[in-house]
Amino acid sequence: MIVAEWKPLPELLAGLKGYKNLLLVGCATCVAECAAGGEREVNTLAPTLHMALKNQGQDINIITRTLERACEPEFVEELAEIAPQVDAIMSLSCGIGMQLIAERFLDKPLLPGVNTTSLAIREAPGLWTARCRACGDCVLGETFGLCPVARCAKSLMNGPCGGTRKNGRCEVDENTDCIWYLIVERAKARGELESLNQVRQPKTWSNSAHGGPKRIVREDLRS
Amino acid sequence: MSKPPSPGFSPEIVVLYCRQTLDAEAKPPEGTRQGDGFSARLVLLPCSSKIEAYQMLAILDKGADGVQLVACPEKACRFLVGNNRAERRVAHARGLLSQAGMAEARLELNRAAELTPEDLMNLAGRHAGRIKDLGPNPMKGGTN
Ligand code: SF4
Ligand code: SF4
Repeated sequence: MIVAEWKPLPELLAGLKGYKNLLLVGCATCVAECAAGGEREVNTLAPTLHMALKNQGQDINIITRTLERACEPEFVEELAEIAPQVDAIMSLSCGIGMQLIAERFLDKPLLPGVNTTSLAIREAPGLWTARCRACGDCVLGETFGLCPVARCAKSLMNGPCGGTRKNGRCEVDENTDCIWYLIVERAKARGELESLNQVRQPKTWSNSAHGGPKRIVREDLRS
Repeated sequence: MSKPPSPGFSPEIVVLYCRQTLDAEAKPPEGTRQGDGFSARLVLLPCSSKIEAYQMLAILDKGADGVQLVACPEKACRFLVGNNRAERRVAHARGLLSQAGMAEARLELNRAAELTPEDLMNLAGRHAGRIKDLGPNPMKGGTN
């Protein structure tokens, strides 16, 4: 899923200065799964913002909505009736949904309520960990299904770096596995350790963020 | 935040209590009751974990002076982990209250068992006593 987390409250409050009517919009898909922007989080942030602003002497009316999926225009359209009643929209959807909302309601300031941080899984209740960085040139087939781009602190293609802790954790964060340690362990378990001797060539990044804005065209699907 | 005591202030406390904290014989009390120098709105829950952080925040945002969640003692939850969840939710909500410039003491969790309705009112009274030092909820008469 796409993972996001609330921006710090002081940043959110600073962005709301002067507004009287706010539409706080969540999304019931990825950001709900990562407990950042679903209906529950919208309903948590609304009274928090309201109380904080009132304590600062600003009375604000906060209207809440949670879209089924903020990255689909059909769902964003559900805001068309309510949007004219507010002076700004704060979105708790990921950056994709936010841009769709901003594009649809051009006359309304769009305030990001969350920072979109990663593509991750829910590893345990209350714990999300990165799994992919949409690099555009997947190497999972060579790394035993473990992603060195998203899960190695240095995105090494030929790891480990030499800093692996004795317990197999990354030198950068003792709570995170050294992914190259795990890759080696999996290779050993499969009896394919030799395959890791093959040096991976510099990676092609141009199919993702480094190649300019991504466009995918499928002629058979175009209208 | 803490304010000088307001004369004549009678705190309105919302008491959210788990059914299992009551004495088996007791008829679960509901609705608003008048205490000595405070009022308590008693809300029956099937388990303390049935209340979410946002609901506790919303009650305070709407102007209640204090919220008290009454859960079963440790390891005595009929849903096994319900009261631990409730404790973590209260901690989360208190953190948000504090960031919003509200006294987090307005929200508290108590653990109790075999309560009579009078005991519940006594718990609410104790919470109200602490709230009196804080003064009325600054949200009273708000927009949301
Ligand atoms: S190699 Fe690239 S596409 Fe594959 S999981 Fe890692 S970041 Fe994602
Ligand atoms: S210790 Fe492992 S995961 Fe951490 S930076 Fe080095 S190779 Fe990458």
